[in-house]
Amino acid sequence: MRGVTRRFGRFAALDDVSFDVRPGEIVALLGPNGAGKTTASRIIAGILAPTSGEALVDGVSVREQPTRVRARCGFVTDTPSLYERMPLRDYLAFFGRLYDVRSPVARAAELAEQLGLTAVVRQKLGTFSRGMRQKVAIARALVHDPPVLLLDEPASALDPEMAQTLRSFIVSLRARERSILLTTHDLDEAQRISDRVVVLYKGRVLRTGATSEIRATGRPTFVVSFTGDTSRARDALRGTGVTPEPASGENGYSALRFATDDPAATNAAVLRALIGAGVDVVTLTAEERSLEDAYLQIVRGATT
Amino acid sequence: MKWALIAWREIRWEVFFDRSSLLRTGIFVVIPLLFVITNRGLGPGPGGDLRIVALAIQSVLFPALSGVALIASTFVAEKENGTLVPLLAAPIRDRDIVLGKLVGMLVPVMAACCFTLAAAYVLAGYRYGFERVTRVLTPELVYAFIVLALLFVITAGSVTMIVAARVRSSRAAQQIAGLIIALSAALFLGLGFAATQIGQGWALVAVGIGLVVFDAAALEVAQRVWQRGEVLARV
Repeated sequence: MRGVTRRFGRFAALDDVSFDVRPGEIVALLGPNGAGKTTASRIIAGILAPTSGEALVDGVSVREQPTRVRARCGFVTDTPSLYERMPLRDYLAFFGRLYDVRSPVARAAELAEQLGLTAVVRQKLGTFSRGMRQKVAIARALVHDPPVLLLDEPASALDPEMAQTLRSFIVSLRARERSILLTTHDLDEAQRISDRVVVLYKGRVLRTGATSEIRATGRPTFVVSFTGDTSRARDALRGTGVTPEPASGENGYSALRFATDDPAATNAAVLRALIGAGVDVVTLTAEERSLEDAYLQIVRGATT
Repeated sequence: MKWALIAWREIRWEVFFDRSSLLRTGIFVVIPLLFVITNRGLGPGPGGDLRIVALAIQSVLFPALSGVALIASTFVAEKENGTLVPLLAAPIRDRDIVLGKLVGMLVPVMAACCFTLAAAYVLAGYRYGFERVTRVLTPELVYAFIVLALLFVITAGSVTMIVAARVRSSRAAQQIAGLIIALSAALFLGLGFAATQIGQGWALVAVGIGLVVFDAAALEVAQRVWQRGEVLARV
């Protein structure tokens, strides 16, 4: 996407948004409700025209050739949205025909096998469980083997086991050089499988970068675990100029968390201060930040 | 020809596999036939002939009314269930989606119209005499009634599509469309009936031309309100 703006009346759902997804890459599109994630997905899928700017899918312009763009995209919506009365095989074959697949019935059978749905291929979709329905939605998006896959909350409302299976399947698609844009609120899922992250807020890109880079956003934090009086440890830490916060200690030890811009100097001072105060330090470890922490910090930074 | 795929899916899975839609259509088929069977006091002369014409118009237009509920539920249900989005994401033109859905409604409804008219013709023949029915309901008139029904279904379908695009629930769409269609059905019935009585059917041709013009305009509006951007802004 290059400088894409999409307006609905006076409201700008997207405002000058730019980012890209390369082949063999999973990019997570994150943001609070109303950030413009779904609008961005729909523009890339060729089902919504941008008001201004340009989006190219596999080199094809969504503005000039939306039908060709749609033929290159597989789109999984946040709800499976299936025709309840149709059996699985007829449903997939119907979409296969819409996408000009050569042998739609054979392709339907192939996809059902890939997703473990062969046993229910003749069953009506209305009888399927939530997880099975989500699998069918994914099969529908893959029916024409598209180079670009747009997944809008694909694992929402799935049980952990089913979500894990789905994640493995998405990762297997990356190995086949598919470009995957994953729109999600599940930051744990995004952290596990995405290569890069785009954070949208009120229609604008707040931050974009590799998932590891995004997770490293902000000041490094450390957790010190110890035995002894917590208030004394807290006073000792304050004496070094850091602000201690309670942390959950393991194996019955007490723990405090602090952030610093200069770990080399601060951590040594912290250790000296704690030992000097008679606190028995057990461990001092760098805290690995989750994508969720980084995301919340980025979004809070935008709201303040 | 992707509109044909959509139409075939509608007919096969949304009409013939939907018991409520079959039941609704069945009721609209049976009612005019009951009118033919139970009609008493059909005297000889022009008055009685006029009543045979009225029964024939009823027989062809009643089943057409079932198409209104059918198209209202089809379009709004797609919006409500979110099934429209995967369809819009497929490489199909907006025009094909609208045409496919309209044809998917037209074919079964027109089949019901033709069946009811044929059944009413035969029943009226047994009840009032084939010679009289054949004299009153000439092939040209029967053909004109079928064309009138077709044009009416297109009008009803277009108006319902426009209404369906603006409302959020299928119940609301059916209620509003039902009101509009009931009024237009009364108007069409009156027009068709009056037209048969004036100028040896030329007025019927005029009604037909008027309907074609109205249908073309209504279809154009319906197609505009069901364009991707418009629909997605409301989904």
